[in-house]
This record gives sequence, C-alpha cells and structure tokens, in this order.
Amino acid sequence: MLAHLKAVWTFRYFWMSLVRMDLRSRYRRSVLGIGWSVLHPIAMSGVFCLVFSQIMDIKSADWEPYGYAAAWRGYAAFLLTGMAVWEFIRNSTAMGCQALLANEAYIRQCPLPYGIYPLRTVMGTGIHFVISMVVVLILVSILKGTPSVLGMLWAVLPVMVLLFFFCWAMATLSAFATVYFHDTAHLVEVGSQLFFFLTPIMYTRKQMGQLSFLADINPVNLFLELIRTPLVFGTPAEPAVYLQGVALTAAAVGLAAGTIGWLQKKVIFQL
Amino acid sequence: MAKIELDDVSLTFTVRQNRKVTLKEYLLRGLFLQSRNPRVAVHALSHLNLSAGDGDRIGVIGHNGAGKSTLLKLLAGVYPPTAGTRDVQGKICSLFDIALGFEHDASGWDNIRYRSYLLGETPRTVKKKMSAIAEFSELGDFLNIPVRYYSSGMLVRLAFSISTAVEPEVLLIDEVLGAGDLAFQIKAKQRMREMMASARLMVLVTHEIPTLEQICNRAIWLQHGSVMMDGKPDDVVAAYKASVNAPQAAPHVGGGVDGDGPAAELKSAA
Repeated sequence: MLAHLKAVWTFRYFWMSLVRMDLRSRYRRSVLGIGWSVLHPIAMSGVFCLVFSQIMDIKSADWEPYGYAAAWRGYAAFLLTGMAVWEFIRNSTAMGCQALLANEAYIRQCPLPYGIYPLRTVMGTGIHFVISMVVVLILVSILKGTPSVLGMLWAVLPVMVLLFFFCWAMATLSAFATVYFHDTAHLVEVGSQLFFFLTPIMYTRKQMGQLSFLADINPVNLFLELIRTPLVFGTPAEPAVYLQGVALTAAAVGLAAGTIGWLQKKVIFQL
Repeated sequence: MAKIELDDVSLTFTVRQNRKVTLKEYLLRGLFLQSRNPRVAVHALSHLNLSAGDGDRIGVIGHNGAGKSTLLKLLAGVYPPTAGTRDVQGKICSLFDIALGFEHDASGWDNIRYRSYLLGETPRTVKKKMSAIAEFSELGDFLNIPVRYYSSGMLVRLAFSISTAVEPEVLLIDEVLGAGDLAFQIKAKQRMREMMASARLMVLVTHEIPTLEQICNRAIWLQHGSVMMDGKPDDVVAAYKASVNAPQAAPHVGGGVDGDGPAAELKSAA
C-alpha cells in the first residue's frame, strides 16, 4: 500500500494537472464560474431552512444555549454544515463510479497506479468541499454573531483530512464496483437519496425519535458529528467519536487498498 | 541496462459473446439453465518464452490475430500476464494507441503537458521539451485551441511528437509508420529511425517485411499466440513467406464455441 501511495506521488504532476483542467472545464462558459459551488450549498440550505423550520418543531430552547439569537439561526448553521459534509461524501462516491471507465484511455496506454483515477475525482470534489467549508465558516460566524467558530478550527481540520481519505476510499470502491457491475452508478444514486433521509442531516439525532438508532450505526453520521459538534455547538466531539472516525477511515482505506491489490491485474480485462 | 524476460507467459482473455450481462443472467447463472451468454476464453498468448537484452532489435511478424499487439501491450505492462512472469527493465516508451487519451477540452499545449507527465516527466523537463515538441508537430497556432477541433491527422501528429520526445531504453512500436500526411510520414520515419538507433532494446510489430529486414537483427514469428520461429530476420521471413502461401487452419478459441480468427484478432487489437 505504501508503495502504491509512493507511485501515486511520483505521478503527481499528471493527476494534479488533470484536476486543474477538470475544474476549469467544469465552469467553462459559465458566468458565475466557481461561484456556483459557493452558491449551491447556500441555496439548498436556504430552501430547506425555509421549509423545514415551518414543518418541524424547532424550539428556541434547543439552540439558545449554544449562542444563537434565534432558533432558525441555529438550525441554519446546523443544516449548512451537514449539507457540506454530506455533499462531499455523496459526490465522491457517485462521481467515483466513472473514475476508471472515464480514464480507460490512460489505463490502456500506461500502467499507472489505479489509485490515481479515483483521486482525480476526489480532488475535484474535495476542492469544492473546502470552498463550501469556508462559506460555512463565514455564514456560521454571521449566524452566531461572533467569529468564535474560528477557534474551533483545530478540531475540524484534521477531520477534514480524515474525511478526504475516507472519500478517496469510497470513490475507489465505487469505481471498481462499476467496472464489474455497471448498475452500481444507478444504485449509488438511488441509495444516496434514501441514505440522505436516514442520516441526521436535516434533523438532529434527537428529532429522529425511534429511528435514532439508525444514526448510531450510520458511518456518515460519525463525520457529521465530528465536524458539526465543534462548528455548530462550539465544543469538540467526544474523544471516542474521533477514535471511531479514525477506525472507520482506516477500515475504508484498507478495503480500498485490498480491492486495488486484488483487482489491479484483472480489471483491465473488464474495461 | 535494458532487459526483457518472459518466462512461460500466457494471456487469456475471458469475454462474453454479448457484452451486456442481463439481470436474468446474473440470477440464473449456473442454476438450472444453460447460459445463453457463456464466457469464452481467448488464448491471446500461450506459453511464450522470450529473453532479450541490450542491442536487440526485434521484429515481430505474424497474421492478424496472432497476438502481436497483445505481446507489445504485455511488454509495456498494460496487460498483466495471466500465467508466467514478465520482467522488463529500463525506461519504456510505447508507440501504440497514441491517438487515445487526449483531453478534448484542453488546448494542444495543455495536452502536451498531460501526456508528458503521464510518461513520467516533471514540469521542469517538460518546459525544456515543449518548444521542440511543438516545432516537430508543425501545428503552430492550432496548439492554442482545444484538441476537440483537431482533425484526426493533426491529433496523430501531436501524439507522435509527444511520444517520441523521450529517450527510451526499451522501445515498443506497433506499425505507426503511417502517421499524418506524406510530408509528416517522411519526418516521422526519420524520427523513428533515430529512436530505434538510440534505444537499447526495440520490439517492432510490422507487416512491412523490407522495413523489418532493414532495421532488425532478430525476428520472431508469432502464430496463434505462440512463437513459431525466433532467429535471424532472413530465415524467419523466408519461413513466414512460405507459410503464407500454404493453406491455414483457423485457430481454436476454445471455451465451448467454435473459435475464429476475427474474434481473437478483435481482442488483441482492442
């Protein structure tokens, strides 16, 4: 695995330049350009906030202790952070499906380490994640009325790095699965939509009521908690949750590395 | 030092008659129905032994579907052997499928960069070569526009210029001599000769017997994925020519269906 990572690093100029090109071509001829990735989480959260603060019972007692002047402010911060994390995981897994198929021409030409192709995808989604996190930090500061959230960065940045490796592993797994079973892309799409509602993104774990056990066994919720607790509630998550996050990432990376090791001599015949 | 060592290498493709595998096929496979879409084994290379070192200029000849291109891809490391061991030492430059793998939305200049990085260059070394590559391709201002708008001939020019801008130790070539228009072909031929002269070890797949006799000091005749003959170009070419005049039996693809040449050929050319 270390040898694989080293080989990925050797070809860094290759994938880095492709990532740069992906970014440029994604917003080619678009007036707003990269502003879209700033606008997207804000717009989504805005709509959700508007609708769900009406439908759901958001008590000011739940949010005032954390320094929010009004309940909706707290809920908006909660939603924004959750959406940013969720979008990163979802997009990495969903777009990762095409990672090997779309790069077939390179695979057929040069024996590069397979980790490069999902990395190309995840670097793209990761850059958007970083942008939306910056937006989130600014908005949460505004919603709270103080920039105190910046003091929590030390608790969040390591988790973002961890999350990056988790997403890379997820993209690798979905990339290999898609080569063998092309329906994976559709399954991921449908699955992620279901998953969205089973994950405490729009509502807190408490609001899930009897279904809250689903949040406890949900791997995505781990990352939500690790990033949300410090940013929205102002205290770092429990050390045990950090350990669980590290363990989960290690398991996912191990699985992805195992998959590459197992299939790297076979996958070319399936492309 | 450059070295090629193939020890009892076999390469078997498993393909399905229809590429698409249905849900029914997934569920019922091996239960009680005979599969209507069976897996077919195509033996592209079988029990191949080859060892070559510095100074070898190997020409590979054989019919379509004999496994020539597959052999090159195996040497390049694109296809791993399904049995046996492959050991190739030295910096490899492969000239096949070169027109593939362009980023169509990026300009010619950017594609020169991507392709060079793919071949293991760094920004510093690329910078030095950029102008030489651009000059050789003769594309001029076209390099500023996305390759999407290139003609196929221009694409091949660009690909050839980039791929041949390296100093390889092991050179693998698959009949790309017919690249671009007449003027460029002459230039390309010249460039290839220079590379062939400077590479330590070369493997050339060709149907042009005179080229082979001129350049190579060793020839290999492949048939149905195995070596029929390996030796001096004159002898091998003579034997090959003699066999072409004699009638041929179709190779057996195996795996339960009647095999035919085109199936094997299709795969090795893909």
